[in-house]
Amino acid sequence: MAAQVPGAFVADTEAAARYRARRRYLAGRRILLPVVAVLVLLFAWSESIKLFDIKPFIAPSPQAVAAVLYERFGILMTNLLPTAIESVLGFALGNLAAIVVATVFVWRKTVEEAMFPVAVMINSIPVVAKAPILVLLLGNGMEPKIAVAAIICFFPTLVNMTRGLRDVRPEQIELMHVLSASPGEVFLRIRVPNALPYLFSALKIAASTAVIGAIVGEWIGSTQGIGALILQATFNFDSPLLYATIVVGSIFSAAFFGVISLVERRMLRWHTAHKE
Amino acid sequence: MKQPLPEAAVFCEGVGVRFTTERGTVTALENIDLTIPRGSFLTLLGPSGCGKSTLLRVMADLIAPTGGRITVLGGTPAAARLKREIGFVFQDPALLPWRTVLDNVTLPLEVGGGKALPGARAPKELLELVGLAGWENAFPHELSGGMRQRVAIARALVSGPRLLLMDEPFGALDEITRDRLNEELLQLWETTGTTIVFVTHSIYEAAFLGQQVLLLAARPGRVRELVPVTLPMPRHLSQRETPEFTTLAGHLRRVLETC
Ligand SMILES: Nc1ncnc2c1ncn2[C@@H]1O[C@H](COP(=O)(O)OP(=O)(O)OP(=O)(O)O)[C@@H](O)[C@H]1O
Ligand SMILES: [Mg+2]
Repeated sequence: MAAQVPGAFVADTEAAARYRARRRYLAGRRILLPVVAVLVLLFAWSESIKLFDIKPFIAPSPQAVAAVLYERFGILMTNLLPTAIESVLGFALGNLAAIVVATVFVWRKTVEEAMFPVAVMINSIPVVAKAPILVLLLGNGMEPKIAVAAIICFFPTLVNMTRGLRDVRPEQIELMHVLSASPGEVFLRIRVPNALPYLFSALKIAASTAVIGAIVGEWIGSTQGIGALILQATFNFDSPLLYATIVVGSIFSAAFFGVISLVERRMLRWHTAHKE
Repeated sequence: MKQPLPEAAVFCEGVGVRFTTERGTVTALENIDLTIPRGSFLTLLGPSGCGKSTLLRVMADLIAPTGGRITVLGGTPAAARLKREIGFVFQDPALLPWRTVLDNVTLPLEVGGGKALPGARAPKELLELVGLAGWENAFPHELSGGMRQRVAIARALVSGPRLLLMDEPFGALDEITRDRLNEELLQLWETTGTTIVFVTHSIYEAAFLGQQVLLLAARPGRVRELVPVTLPMPRHLSQRETPEFTTLAGHLRRVLETC
């Protein structure tokens, strides 16, 4: 038995083992359950194609999609690369801008009162309408796609971050007042950590929407990327390629989400630990 | 007009606090005259809502009085606060959930010029003092309510304050822990010479800790009686069984019933 500190954590090997076993069980469950669900859905899909005799150009069988994923892996990857770069850069830019603007909003309420309605208005323009404007403004390269991805991330993060920086418990502010903390100290030591859980909820949404933004941007004018490949496959009635492209896009989007969740779990141990 | 005594830690003259809300004006405190000598221990007793927390908050410069005059450690409450001479234990522990226990206790040394405080104490020693050795790296959500309150007490002491304001700090604790902390608080008070103003709902706690018990009456909050406690120092829990103590507690109860 390990050294015992009075009043502190007491080493109890049996309880620790039970605790770890339970953690392993929960972790295993978290992976196993979705895998089973996906397998069941794939099977249902495959069977319905056979059962209703659906033509390959209307909807492919999962086996056909799998074949394309394997045989045309190179093409799929060369098209994923630009989309990945656009969405990651757009994600970084859009969220960074939102964090900066939220900070300004909290620092000067007047700026928020003036600018927030403008942000709402811009946000209410559908992405498919914003994209052509940006293509006209920024040309045919990666820039307009990055811009669409950034804009689509911006608003949810702005709203969440502003709330997180502002919704601080009054006792904590009073404590800092008694300690004669400067506004900068209150910001860094209270507002920023308080906003992190809010920020990460927004970032997880943004991880998926940034990919959507990049794809929509590519639809307006592009010869490369997941969006371009989707259009090309649709015009050629190449439904297995279309589905395979979508699968690749979704896997990337899910991986992006996963990375953000991982960072969240590491950074917000104090917040996530008691919610499990 | 009375001059503030040089030895007064807190001096109030006609202090009043009025809150204006949509539902009208509430007089939380009215015409408070009070002198708390330096190095003394005052306990505050009174019915719920009589303005005990409000009086502490005026001393800590969290609220400005709407009337009267107050001096804290020879200057305005704001001056004492800026010099970091005030320690405050809130009714709610107000720990930062993203900081470990040790980092919560260290906070006062990180902000508001806390690095250069001459009377600063070692956070680890204070955690030991409040019985939380070994819990340095735990997060607040892993602690019980009483343990959180003890962290808050350690945090209030770390800057070595000359005036310690405590708002029902032991309200959430069991009797045994509360007794132990009461004795430890008295020891701490004797060794540091800090002036302590201590709000409680417990008649026994008020009588055991204080050199004086200030009884406040409600609606509007005003001084009802300032009762001197003549029990000898240093105090021990056994003194609570003496006839002297019982008489005192009985008197406090009778006055409190009419507040
Ligand atoms: N910020 C505020 N705004 C309006 N009214 C307030 C405010 N703070 C306190 N009050 C009022 O002032 C009065 C005194 O409140 P205070 O918190 O000082 O009471 P208390 O003696 O500490 O009570 P308790 O023992 O329940 O903690 C109450 O009637 C309360 O409604
Ligand atoms: Mg109170």
